Amino acid sequence: MASSSNIQSRAKRVDKFMAFAISGGGLFMIGAVLAMLLFILKEAAPLFLPPSVRPAATLQAGAMGGLWLDESGKAAVLVSKETGVRAIRLPEGTPLPTPQGGPDLPWRTLTPPNTRGETLVTGADGRIWLARLTWTKPPGENDPSRWDLNPQWQGGILLEAAPNRILHARLLEGGGLGSSARLRLVAEVADGISWLEAPLEAGPAVAWKPLPLPPGNKVSSALWSADGATLTLGTEAGQLLMVEVESGNLLASAEFGEPVNALGAPLGQSSVLVGGTKGRLAAYQRARLGEDFQFRSFHEFPRLSGPVLGFQSSLRDKRFLAWSAREAVVDHLTTERRLMAVSLTGAGSASMAPRGDLILHADELGALHSWTLDAPHPEVSFGLLWGKTQYEGYGKPEYVWQSTGGTDDFEPKFSLVPLVFGTLKGTLYAMLFAFPLAVLGALYTSQFATPGLRNVIKPAVEIMAALPSVVLGFLAGLVMAPMLERTAVEVLLYPFCLLLAVAIAAPFWSRLSTPFRNRFGTGRETLWIVPILILAVGMTMFAGPLVERLFMGGNYRTWLQSALGITYDQRNSIVVGFAMGFAVIPIIFTISEDALSSVPRSLTSASLACGASPWQTAWRVVLPTASPGIFSATMVGLGRAIGETMIVLMATGNTPVMDWGPFNGMRTLSANIAVEIPEAPLHGTLYRVLFLAAFLLFLFTFVLNTVAELVRQHLRRRYESI
Amino acid sequence: MTRLAESLRRGGIFVWFAGTSLAFCLAMILGLVGYIAARGLGFFWPSPLVQVRSAEGPVLGEITGHEPARGEETGKLQFRVGNRDIYGQDFRWVPTVGLGAPEEPKDAVLLERTEYGPFIGRITAISHQGTVAVQGAGALAEAARRLPESRRLLEEVQATEKGKVGELNRRMERLRIDRKGLEAKGDQAAIQALDTQVAALQSTYEALQTTIDQTRTEAKSWVLDLETADGQKKELPLSSVVRIVAANNLSVTDRLGIYLSRMWEFLADDPRESNTEGGIFPAIFGTVMMVLVMSVLVVPLGVVTALYLREYARQGWLVRAVRVAVNNLAGVPSIVFGVFGLGFFVYTLGGGIDRLFFADALPTPTYGTGGIIWASLTLALLTVPVVVVATEEALGAVARSQREASLAMGATKWQTLWNVVLPSAAPGILTGLILAIARGAGEVAPLMLTGVVKLAPSMPLDGTFPFFHFDRKFMHLGFHIYDVGFQSPNSEAAKPMVFMASLLLLAVVVVLNIFALNLRRKLRARLGGSTF
Repeated sequence: MASSSNIQSRAKRVDKFMAFAISGGGLFMIGAVLAMLLFILKEAAPLFLPPSVRPAATLQAGAMGGLWLDESGKAAVLVSKETGVRAIRLPEGTPLPTPQGGPDLPWRTLTPPNTRGETLVTGADGRIWLARLTWTKPPGENDPSRWDLNPQWQGGILLEAAPNRILHARLLEGGGLGSSARLRLVAEVADGISWLEAPLEAGPAVAWKPLPLPPGNKVSSALWSADGATLTLGTEAGQLLMVEVESGNLLASAEFGEPVNALGAPLGQSSVLVGGTKGRLAAYQRARLGEDFQFRSFHEFPRLSGPVLGFQSSLRDKRFLAWSAREAVVDHLTTERRLMAVSLTGAGSASMAPRGDLILHADELGALHSWTLDAPHPEVSFGLLWGKTQYEGYGKPEYVWQSTGGTDDFEPKFSLVPLVFGTLKGTLYAMLFAFPLAVLGALYTSQFATPGLRNVIKPAVEIMAALPSVVLGFLAGLVMAPMLERTAVEVLLYPFCLLLAVAIAAPFWSRLSTPFRNRFGTGRETLWIVPILILAVGMTMFAGPLVERLFMGGNYRTWLQSALGITYDQRNSIVVGFAMGFAVIPIIFTISEDALSSVPRSLTSASLACGASPWQTAWRVVLPTASPGIFSATMVGLGRAIGETMIVLMATGNTPVMDWGPFNGMRTLSANIAVEIPEAPLHGTLYRVLFLAAFLLFLFTFVLNTVAELVRQHLRRRYESI
Repeated sequence: MTRLAESLRRGGIFVWFAGTSLAFCLAMILGLVGYIAARGLGFFWPSPLVQVRSAEGPVLGEITGHEPARGEETGKLQFRVGNRDIYGQDFRWVPTVGLGAPEEPKDAVLLERTEYGPFIGRITAISHQGTVAVQGAGALAEAARRLPESRRLLEEVQATEKGKVGELNRRMERLRIDRKGLEAKGDQAAIQALDTQVAALQSTYEALQTTIDQTRTEAKSWVLDLETADGQKKELPLSSVVRIVAANNLSVTDRLGIYLSRMWEFLADDPRESNTEGGIFPAIFGTVMMVLVMSVLVVPLGVVTALYLREYARQGWLVRAVRVAVNNLAGVPSIVFGVFGLGFFVYTLGGGIDRLFFADALPTPTYGTGGIIWASLTLALLTVPVVVVATEEALGAVARSQREASLAMGATKWQTLWNVVLPSAAPGILTGLILAIARGAGEVAPLMLTGVVKLAPSMPLDGTFPFFHFDRKFMHLGFHIYDVGFQSPNSEAAKPMVFMASLLLLAVVVVLNIFALNLRRKLRARLGGSTF
């Protein structure tokens, strides 16, 4: 038999162990809650980390006219007029097998390759060739020495007259039905600027077509539009001209302020990057503002030291590389963020890898410097999230949320302002509807209702609190919205008809004997109102079509459109306010009713004893005393309305409009997260922005609820002292 | 005039005003519950098939809607004409002007089918393996006689497909994954042994398939000849028919029988026609499973935290702050928990588990995608505050005298807790658990991100080892409502399902809440206590 001291010591050990386990478990849970907040923050934080630039290899490679980087960053192609196309391995710098073929060396002209690897060459025989540099990689092969560099040479175009300088070339891919690829060139010839279009094959000599320009404009650089129909020209006088080549019409012109030295285009090619001889960097676009088009600068970047020599744009997002003789920078077009700024050893050519993560520069002496750039989220900045941003194609800065689009060069637009606006709008409409109903209802229940009635009302409201928001949202979206659309006029008329019904019924009520009224009326007013409510419904069903016919020409929707210019959306804020009211009313009701019932009896008795009526007591004594509790109830209700997801998802059109009107929908932060996060690429920009939105929701509701709780505790302590 | 001013000052009218707002709130609640109940419960009652002569020809169907004349538009009647394979749409609006007198033809029949929704028309003949067996009026009775047998054969086929063939597929998949692992190691002998196993399974599968084909042909041997109200003809194998309803020829007991059978089908069968017909059993089962796993997780976590806060932690401002923080967690939007569940549980933890234990199956994720375990964990985190608050209240309500008596008799703190305090607090903890379950059953937003799907191919609990599959996706009643109502191709036809599912969910949540709150009220009345 175990001795008592054994049992005792075992009990003590179990006690110590359980104390340890429970404390550990409790601390773990609390830690888990904190960890949740930290995890969400951690997933959102990389949006705001500054980009990191690391200098990589420096090599000697001999003189060259242009560079092209492969996507993997493991190989670079060097082109020069004397030696043609050759490739080196990065970061070692060892040469890779030279490709064969191509026009005879030495070449007469060479344009540096763009990020896609297209370069224009005039061979020794004077014919124009286009080279598309590509690497053929065996699947899964990571060693560049096993890749094949085979530049695809096309062309052999013969020109009637050799130009002084070819300014820019545009390749127009062939469409279907056998039309082949064509090349458009613009060049400086003996007496001005000329252009031509030629099929990309050896054929008869092609003549130059002169481009008539206003006199006094010496063109220093040119850029074709994406479809080859328009040319943007930069002049030495500091002007930018947009010309339609076929007709020769001047579409637009703008002042740049200093002689234009280089032109480039970001991904998508719907705007123009301009660099001047004094280092000014700007982006110009021709966009619609109001009725007409305007060609003007829509982004400015910090100046470079020295004339801007060239541009290269990334193929993944809107970042671009610009360099002068002394420095090279990578900027993002839309957020105007400077992602990288490094100093150079001399003038030369530079290139950026297609993903924008590796930059290579070769100076005139053949020294190659490279840098790696790690900027995973350049399209987001604090200003873009919260301020108006000027996007490509828009006439002026706007708040836009548009996270995905159909094409590869679509620019995602991440302004949180429309979403926050939508959240506030939904909350406003919900509170507008719920607050008066809940507070007045709570006042009635705690001050005027009989105890029997109170025992029915409180469980009923608790049931209302238990309604799943999916069911509320489903009813709002599929039942209430069509019903409101059919009977909007009736719904608007209802309060008036209710007043009318009350006015009709009131004399009948006052005719009833006082003892009857005291016994069955006082404390049960709410039940007597129910038939009045139904009577009012009947009256609206009769009056509604009448009013619509008389005042709105038979159809309220056309009347709204013509008289007020408002389009009626079926799923609009009225429906959302009503449905969210269902969710918010019980919360405000319960807490307010608690607060109102906790007002010390001594206060109410004193007021009644002084001769005040029950209403005067309720309105002037109880309500103000309990107002901190009602305030706290409103805070908690606000918190619920802000975070409500399912109702908003189902009852609004989920359009991110910024309009306070009640007849259109909204998109809230919570519904946006629910819709977009399942498809957001892991650790991409959209993913992190959605985590940021979740963090904001968490913070806001937490703060609201904490304030409410503190107010309630303060109130409790105050009552204990009365 | 002064009397009016006086009565306004005394404010009697404002009491009525306040009473009106309350009446409005009560009307809202009753209206909502009543509406869902009325529309939900009414759908399964078989309504008569009405035939009218409209401008486009005869229209036969159930009357499902009515719009009165309004302005220049005439009144309209909505008919459910069925026959989606013939007409392209289930419902049709017919203007009421110029309609002939409505009739209820006695031989009109509604056939519930496995595809294309119901057929509404007449059965002209029934044939067996090509030859006509019965024609004309007796065909309906013959079809009704043959229906149970053909249903049984079809169910047999389905059971074999799901059971035996499903098992074969699982084993083949397992072998394929093993083979992938062996190929990496280059073990030729083992690979050959595996290949022979695969070949054996393949031949078993082919034998099963022949049996299935034979049974199916047998089930399809009876064919119905059908005709619609406007004379279009169609042939339909009897095996595609789920139920025959001769809607105009039923007595009240017949109708009640059909009503109950449809109700049972709703609760116990699988869905068909992309969730717009059939039953919601998988959704009910998935919800119950998830709630069970969530309860198993949330009760220990919540009770331990409450015990720590109240019994073991040093009471000071820090503990009060922590208590406020845990309470306020209940107010944080559920979507935030969903986001955390997706980012941490699914991608981080799940991805890690995949890389450690299921690397062979990659890139197809096993735990690195939504599943019932992650959904339950997320909801457990969501409902922990509810349990913590309820447990703290319950612990506080236990009289000091009980505790002190136990300690005075020499019990340790843990013995007091386990033997005296917790049993007294158990009803309170139970209240918290029920409230947590009610909350968890109704939340949908976090589940959308962590593992709920529109249609789950298999359930998380089945007969194959390890019996409870934590990584499987599941169906949920609340998500079913959202999906069928808003993302189904035929939302008009789906409305009955959505209303019934809403009613079911509402009933479950409301009953749980009433039960929990009654329990809490009884406890408060009994114990009083300092925290209440």
